[in-house]
Amino acid sequence: MAEPSAAGHSFDDEALPHLDALYRVALRLTGDAARAEDLVQDTMLKAYRSWRQYRPGTNAKGWLLTILRNTFINDYRRRKLEPVAMDLEAVEPHAIYRDIETADPEGAFFSQIVDEKVLQAVDALPTEFREVLVLSDMEGLHYAEIAETLQVPVGTVKSRLFRARRLLQAALYQHAVEMGYIKPRKA
Amino acid sequence: MPEKMNCKEAVDQLQDYLKRELTPGLAAEVRQHLDHCRHCFDHARFEESFLRMLEEHARKETCPGALRQRILDLLRNEAGPG
Repeated sequence: MAEPSAAGHSFDDEALPHLDALYRVALRLTGDAARAEDLVQDTMLKAYRSWRQYRPGTNAKGWLLTILRNTFINDYRRRKLEPVAMDLEAVEPHAIYRDIETADPEGAFFSQIVDEKVLQAVDALPTEFREVLVLSDMEGLHYAEIAETLQVPVGTVKSRLFRARRLLQAALYQHAVEMGYIKPRKA
Repeated sequence: MPEKMNCKEAVDQLQDYLKRELTPGLAAEVRQHLDHCRHCFDHARFEESFLRMLEEHARKETCPGALRQRILDLLRNEAGPG
């Protein structure tokens, strides 16, 4: 069916194995299953139409994620009109380790938190933080691959990840305290 | 001899160290610090629990079968007959 690219790599063989990852990233970006499905479908169609631009032997997953992310920014995010509420580089989230080091120094509470709550906390992160965290810590891309996907320097990926993880840790800690998984340190 | 890494410097690098994203030289400095600093060693285990938890939660969702089929049909239409 799909035409092979110049070097004979077929779109089906190279692109279809990444549908699960594309769908998961789309879910995290849009926060909505129906919009995630539309985003994946648009992404695959665009990718198919520009398949000749794909350089065989390069990272197909990264290439597809770049298309997905650009499509999201251009066609999906605008509808939601997300306000840019903060200067992302200036965010200095509270490091929770000091609050927790006597009660749970190894972070055992993390494993008690159910899937749904973890994903909700990820979805609540600002987009710029959420996308790096999802690509790195959930989909396993290297920092250099993320930098290429997002068209930002590796240093930016690192600093966003650092802040994203701290924000997420703080949110999960708060949840764990509320659920009684962990006792807060006395003030 | 280079200056030894202090706790703040080590802690700032812990996540990148655990993700194997540091240069070999910097990774060796962090490793050396962790070998001698119980506090930072514990902190590293905390960060490791966090990262492992994210990995475990990460890949449970899969592309719905109906969406996969719809995409395959679309691609067939794009390719056209023959």
